[in-house]
Amino acid sequence: MIDLIRNEVLKLLRRRRFTIAVVILAVILSAVTYGQYRQLQSAKDGDWRARTQQTIVRYQNAMRRAQANPTWARSLRLEIARLQYYLDRDIQPDKPNAPYIVRAFANIAGFLLLPLLVSVLASDVVSAEHAEGTDKLLLTHPVRRWRILTSKLAAVFLFTTLLLLCGALLGFTISSFALESRGWGAPTFSGFRLTGETVDFAAVRQLPLWQDTLIAYGLEWYALLMVASIAVMLSTIFRSSAASIGTMMAALIGGTILTRLTPDWIAGKYFFVSALPLADYYTGQPPPYEGMPLLFCISLLAVWAAAALIVAYGLFTRRDVFG
Amino acid sequence: MSSPVLIAHHLSKTIGEKTIVSDVSFEIEPGEVFGFLGPNGAGKTTTIRMLVGLIRPSTGNVTICGHDVEREFEAALRNVGCIVETPDLYRFMSGRENLEHFARMRRGVGEADIARVAELAMLSHRLEDKVRTYSLGMRQRLGIAVALLSRPKLLILDEPANGLDPAGIREMRNLLRRLSTDDGLAVFVSSHLLAEVELMCDRVAIIHRGTILETSPVQGLHAHAPEMEFRVDDAARAIALVESMGFPVAVNDGTLSIEIAEEQAPDVVLRLATEGVRIFHAQRRIRTLEERFIEATGGETV
Repeated sequence: MIDLIRNEVLKLLRRRRFTIAVVILAVILSAVTYGQYRQLQSAKDGDWRARTQQTIVRYQNAMRRAQANPTWARSLRLEIARLQYYLDRDIQPDKPNAPYIVRAFANIAGFLLLPLLVSVLASDVVSAEHAEGTDKLLLTHPVRRWRILTSKLAAVFLFTTLLLLCGALLGFTISSFALESRGWGAPTFSGFRLTGETVDFAAVRQLPLWQDTLIAYGLEWYALLMVASIAVMLSTIFRSSAASIGTMMAALIGGTILTRLTPDWIAGKYFFVSALPLADYYTGQPPPYEGMPLLFCISLLAVWAAAALIVAYGLFTRRDVFG
Repeated sequence: MSSPVLIAHHLSKTIGEKTIVSDVSFEIEPGEVFGFLGPNGAGKTTTIRMLVGLIRPSTGNVTICGHDVEREFEAALRNVGCIVETPDLYRFMSGRENLEHFARMRRGVGEADIARVAELAMLSHRLEDKVRTYSLGMRQRLGIAVALLSRPKLLILDEPANGLDPAGIREMRNLLRRLSTDDGLAVFVSSHLLAEVELMCDRVAIIHRGTILETSPVQGLHAHAPEMEFRVDDAARAIALVESMGFPVAVNDGTLSIEIAEEQAPDVVLRLATEGVRIFHAQRRIRTLEERFIEATGGETV
């Protein structure tokens, strides 16, 4: 099995999928860091308390204007409560340093960027073999088909993990040039919940930043593996790489837009894209639909991924390979 | 008495209403080069895909070295090297990387085997280059190198002459011949080229519209027909003379075809000569594989 995984890893690297993904990450992280750096420069003299207060007022104004968009209003309400919570305890929220950039990356990238990059990695592991005609050679060696699919899945999971780690590492390295690189011990609050119109502080926990970051990355990692499984399924269904990547992108982007535009359409909460930003939900961003606690999101993703893998294995091991 | 390397047992493939291959059976002995001859679209590739487990037969089964391809896939395929249709390899990897890739999918194939097959396929000098830069002939040879990695007992090649120049075809033929006589390798070759099958194979099965019309040794296909061809100056007089001797004659383009056994030929020649008919040409007709093929397929173009 190790040999088979080595084969798949080699092919993924040679197709340059991983390189492309890492380059995209590096570019985006540089931009984010630069933005933070500029922000820090402009606010150098001001007191963080005053600045946070200003932000809260700005959000309150925005919220009054945002009544037409309940999702947006909900997320503003939570953000205000979160900032106020820090302010009340005289702790600076979201201190712009390298550790914070790394922590924020889990939320920012987990929303759409990382799922998209993982889809690019995973969507053609099977379909490319078909498109290039190499499947007939791959499947006529004395290796059962389920083992081949498993090795492909393992390679995709491996690169998904590496991609997330690369993102964290790149984020830290790039932002360390411009920003303070210490601050892993800063107290952080996560677990803000919104029930109806009121913010619920019962589940709020104080953790040092490094612990909070580990939890966020753990959740993100889990979500990405589930995305990868679904992408691999699409890759076995479609015979062309373009079709499988396209479908996955449409699902991710379309799903994200849909969940934001149609908060009344309750069935939308069972779509896997609604449950994807686990790190966001853990921090305290409200999910787009009512009744989506973190555990629900985690189980929903598991169900989708399991179904995807059943379809993928069923198809791949039984299908007739024509030209 | 050795047992067959491959047994195809009543293979059929039906998709929806359409029957692509119907009741195809044959056996291949060790050291034998077996030709699978048929026009394009006759079901050759579908049959090959069933032999190596890419397609599940609707009915029938395939046994390789005593192992059922469907139930004991790994044990069966361990004995096979194959190229199905085109020799598609990973174009973004080098020849060596491709060989290593497939070596890792087989037990007990090492560095020495890679060097050996690269040598056999005459690719040693281009092994580090990306397959993208290879010519079709080189890819064909790399495909054969991959197929020979684990010293298989059966080699299955689909249209191996495609993309090769005449010299390449000859080299390929010699290589296959050598492998089959020296190592006892059984070779299954599909082709739509009669001449190629004639030169390469010991036995041939003619497939047409999904069914095997005939399986026989290539030597048998060459059997001399009980027919002689004559070209003479005065055809009309010759016909009258030969018919008076009691042999049926057919005329085709000024050439007389006379149905006679070998031992009667001198009598006819003597008779015509003494009657003053000038004979330019007298030859026993050899029925070529092509004629047999056209006979068998009912004149369908090849």
